[in-house]
Amino acid sequence: MKNWLARLRGSGAAPAPVALSAVRAQTLADWQAAPPLDTRRSHYRTRYVVVDVEASGLDMKRDRLIAIGAVAVVNGRIDPADSFEVILRQEEVSTSDNILIHGIGGSAQREGTEPPDALLGFLHYCGHAPLVAYHALFDQTMIERAVREHLGVRLDACWIDLAWVLPDLFRERIDAQVMLDDWLALFDIDNIQRHNAVSDALATAMLLQAAMARATARGAKTPASFVDIEKARRWMRRSG
Amino acid sequence: MSNSATQMLVAAALEFLRRHPPFDRMEAEALHYLAERLKLAYYEKDAPIASPEMGVLRNFYLLQRGKVLVRGAGEVGLIDYTTMTLSPGECFPIGAVTAQRPSTNVYTALEDVFCYELAVEDYFAVMRMSPVFNLFCTQYIATLANQSRQQLQQEFAQRAAEQQTMNSPLSSIITKEAICASPETSLREVIGIMAASHIGSIIVVDAERRPAGIFTQSDVLKRVVLPGVPLESPIASVMSPDPHTLPMASSAYDAVLAMAMHGIRHVLVIDEGGRLKGVVSERDLFALQRVGLRQIRQSIETAPDIRLLCQAASDVRRLALNMLAQGVGAEQLTQFISALNDTLTRRVIQLNLDRHDLYGIDWAWLSFGSEGRDEQTFSTDQDNGLIFVCTDIMDREQTQLRLLDFARDINADLDRVGFPLCPGKIMAGNPEWCLTVEEWEEKFLGWVRTPEPKALLNASIFFDFRPLYGQFHLAHRLRLSLLKATQENRLFLRMMAQNALSVTPPLGKIRDFVTDADPAFHGTIDLKKYGARLFVDAARVFALAAGVGATNTAQRLRLTGAAQKVSSDESAGLVESLNFIQLLRLRHQNFELEQGRAGNNRIDPDELNELDRRILKEAFRQARKLQQRLKLDFQV
Repeated sequence: MKNWLARLRGSGAAPAPVALSAVRAQTLADWQAAPPLDTRRSHYRTRYVVVDVEASGLDMKRDRLIAIGAVAVVNGRIDPADSFEVILRQEEVSTSDNILIHGIGGSAQREGTEPPDALLGFLHYCGHAPLVAYHALFDQTMIERAVREHLGVRLDACWIDLAWVLPDLFRERIDAQVMLDDWLALFDIDNIQRHNAVSDALATAMLLQAAMARATARGAKTPASFVDIEKARRWMRRSG
Repeated sequence: MSNSATQMLVAAALEFLRRHPPFDRMEAEALHYLAERLKLAYYEKDAPIASPEMGVLRNFYLLQRGKVLVRGAGEVGLIDYTTMTLSPGECFPIGAVTAQRPSTNVYTALEDVFCYELAVEDYFAVMRMSPVFNLFCTQYIATLANQSRQQLQQEFAQRAAEQQTMNSPLSSIITKEAICASPETSLREVIGIMAASHIGSIIVVDAERRPAGIFTQSDVLKRVVLPGVPLESPIASVMSPDPHTLPMASSAYDAVLAMAMHGIRHVLVIDEGGRLKGVVSERDLFALQRVGLRQIRQSIETAPDIRLLCQAASDVRRLALNMLAQGVGAEQLTQFISALNDTLTRRVIQLNLDRHDLYGIDWAWLSFGSEGRDEQTFSTDQDNGLIFVCTDIMDREQTQLRLLDFARDINADLDRVGFPLCPGKIMAGNPEWCLTVEEWEEKFLGWVRTPEPKALLNASIFFDFRPLYGQFHLAHRLRLSLLKATQENRLFLRMMAQNALSVTPPLGKIRDFVTDADPAFHGTIDLKKYGARLFVDAARVFALAAGVGATNTAQRLRLTGAAQKVSSDESAGLVESLNFIQLLRLRHQNFELEQGRAGNNRIDPDELNELDRRILKEAFRQARKLQQRLKLDFQV
């Protein structure tokens, strides 16, 4: 149990190596060699990747990762060309209740991309950009677990959780942990297809744009400052 | 690279675009190209989006969510005067990006704003790809106004019996070759041709096929049989010479107007060389129309008494509705209503002439206000007066009394026919407005010399006078002396300008429109006071300053614009704006009358569709531009 939790946090022992084909190994090496993240650059000179995942359920230990959707916010702008979506091939199709949520049907699941290629595609798309999500723990855990299982490496990305950052920046509007939909309603952002990974990621990316503007006005001008806000907020909640 | 995620984001942009003009009508390929290239940005409340300091802009903006405040830059002291708000779906700054110059306005987020950005290169690419977008950008306002007119047409399509649109050129209406004869052809021959071809009229043309005259069936009786003209005489001796002609490019509406104004049944269509190309008859134009123009005119002109005139007056309104349905523009329509109302008024005057002896008096009937400007809508009350010549001062009282008797009868009859009495007593039957030429001149000069509030109010009504019946030259004389006086008097013009500026366009800073604060009219805008009047009042000042004799506002704007070296596009924009407001008024009045209510000018902007709301906003912006010009020109 303890070992499992430690792995969840991404700070445990090195993952068990996985044998990869030469092509896959090369792609992985290319990703590892990509320029590292500089968390001290301003928001408006940073490429953020906003991520949303769909899984076979909400159990972070047992449920499987089905799809990843991602939308980049580059220099403050969302460009439709810079976006990503992949469905991971499933041996076993998720339950029909689950399918009803994300709308990825049985055949789409069976015909998805081979998980190692899907994940390599995702890593290639992200590079070492800071990853942003709403209630990020779930997305982070699902993606890290899959990367570990299928690629045998640790994804050591900088994650930012808007569920913590937004209430700190917009205290006058909502000063609490709420659902994503509450923020979307507040900013009057349409989610064209709720529970579609890309659509959710787009809506979340628009929230990130608002957060960047507000944070910059407050002097919190970099990805690192988002991380600081999140940490302080979590600490405050725990102790308060 | 096109992947499924990109497709999803492009679909989201497309979904948005398709809900807003002009994108809703844009070519599929160009629209897709555009949607792929839109980048989404966010602006916090009060954040600047575009401003003159940014220099030549690299992006074109399309508002996706929230409101944007637009302020004219550099006009110190006019801050409130030049603000307005943009709503989702609106683009900016079209002019600056197209011309590749810095924006003249400052665009600021009024609340949380999401804005699509399109790189300038892509903007021009879309312009090249899409004729719809190109037209939208280059003829921003005119296009919108047309779209609305088309919409209006659709709305009324079911009610309209007439198929032909009044805007189609005459060249598309003439179908048959006109049958002609040379001036020397004998009467016998001509009548033979007419009988053989079963035609009611024949055109007489010269050797180059230029129309010289027209001869109709009814002329046979009146001009040949009864006077006993020998059948060997040339047709030229009995034809009606100088027939009314119109160029090929004229519209059906022009032909209708010519028929209404001159009481004719046929209009000859000629090419650039003046050669006959065909004939358009009233029947061609109103073949399918229940209420014929000629019928109305005829029933007006031959009505033996007031009772029958009342019937004709209601027909005028029905015909106007038909024309509204056919998409006739407001400018033409209001002129048209005026033309028929003129005919009506003239008949009322004629009927009264039979009962009053005015022998030996030179006089003319004048109309003022909207009728004087040829801008009548469906509900118009009377504004009229009389001008007469009095050579001997001793006769003045007596002459005026005779005219007043006459005028009062006319005022009462006009009221019965459907032009309510003027509550302000501006009527020919009021001794104050039944005056000699010299007295009118003196009155006008007095108002010009001493522009106190009452004088300015009078000027705004009376200076739009136009003769309707009688000796027209009396009115022309008065016009000349008035223009001479106003052109020389800067103070008067400045006061008039100030007066015209006392009402500003109802554009809101936060909301789109400022509506009436009066709880009785909550949420409405009076489109006469806060719409049409803005243009009418400004145009009057420009006309009086420039010595332009026209009283019609659209004509005044065009003529004074040209004199002031204002670009014709700009003048056209102003006229389009005025026309749009008039169109809304007509539509609204018609609706009110149909509901059995007295037509007023109050519209609720929330009840307009999005397109109309946006055009209305643009029309108010144009009004503001016009007011700014007035401000500058007269240093108010």
